[in-house]
Amino acid sequence: MNELERSLLRRLRDRDERAFRELIEGHRDRVYNITFRMLGNRAEAEDVAQEVFITVFKTIETFREESKFSTWLYRVTVNHCKNRIKYLARRHDRDRDELDETSNGQNNAAGGAIGGPAPPAPDRALEGAQMEKLLQDAIGHLDDEHRVVVVLRDIEDLSIEEICEITGLPDGTVKSRLHRARLALRKKLQRHVGEET
Amino acid sequence: MSDTEPETADEEIVVAVSDFLDGLRTEVWRAEIAARIAAEPAWQQVHAEMVETRKVAGTLSGLQKARLPATFAQDVTATIHKRSAGRFFARRTLGDRVPFGVLAIVALLAIAAMGYLMWASQTGSLAPSRDPEPAHHGSGALVAPP
Repeated sequence: MNELERSLLRRLRDRDERAFRELIEGHRDRVYNITFRMLGNRAEAEDVAQEVFITVFKTIETFREESKFSTWLYRVTVNHCKNRIKYLARRHDRDRDELDETSNGQNNAAGGAIGGPAPPAPDRALEGAQMEKLLQDAIGHLDDEHRVVVVLRDIEDLSIEEICEITGLPDGTVKSRLHRARLALRKKLQRHVGEET
Repeated sequence: MSDTEPETADEEIVVAVSDFLDGLRTEVWRAEIAARIAAEPAWQQVHAEMVETRKVAGTLSGLQKARLPATFAQDVTATIHKRSAGRFFARRTLGDRVPFGVLAIVALLAIAAMGYLMWASQTGSLAPSRDPEPAHHGSGALVAPP
């Protein structure tokens, strides 16, 4: 942890509102990306991301600096996602795995947050959107323990060590779950390709 | 436990092949694993699966990054204020909402106005100038009693 991060933490513990805003600005997109990929729904993901930061603010005293701050933050994020998944499952929420169809339009309108520097050709954009939906759908069908490792490793590109710290799982279990999750994803994708041809 | 939870023996192969493909551990160890992959069907199967599934991982890494609305930080702090009735964040000595900029401008204007008044005053004071009263020297205004 560098001096800048320590100073931010001190200010957070002093409940400095500006420090909270700085923290949010620094981590918002990554936290949201995790919640979105875990939940598959933008509105739920935004709500959970907000709850994550509120929890961090409330419990910052409990962070003991034994791990990186980001690791602690992602642990809080993952726990919130798991709780929300359980809650949604209880409510039989059928929108859980729905990819928000308006998302691309919203994001492009918000300044091109998604997409490359040049707009893709319409057919390629459709292809990309279909692939996006297909992958998100496949991720949504994984059980939450497998979804966590895939999101953290393959989408967020975190190391196995970090994932072990975040999930509290041993190295072998993480690698093994990752392998099984990827197998399940591949199966799902192959089934889709089979249906299309 | 989910139905996809690995058995212990399987996990050992998965971990070893995963490390092998990641190029981890020593050359000796890697040679040993390569030999097992070549010789044992269970190891061969895991190796083949893992080579294939890593392509899926590559596809996932290309997924678009979701972004939050620009007002997110404000929304979170507003929620915290609302839930805590304004008691969550520390208050500064004079509070966070004191409009220091406006106060500074008002103060400057007041100082400028006072300076102008002092400059315009004949006495150099803000107090109203008092003309000396005319002197009364024995003109009979006051008559001493007999």
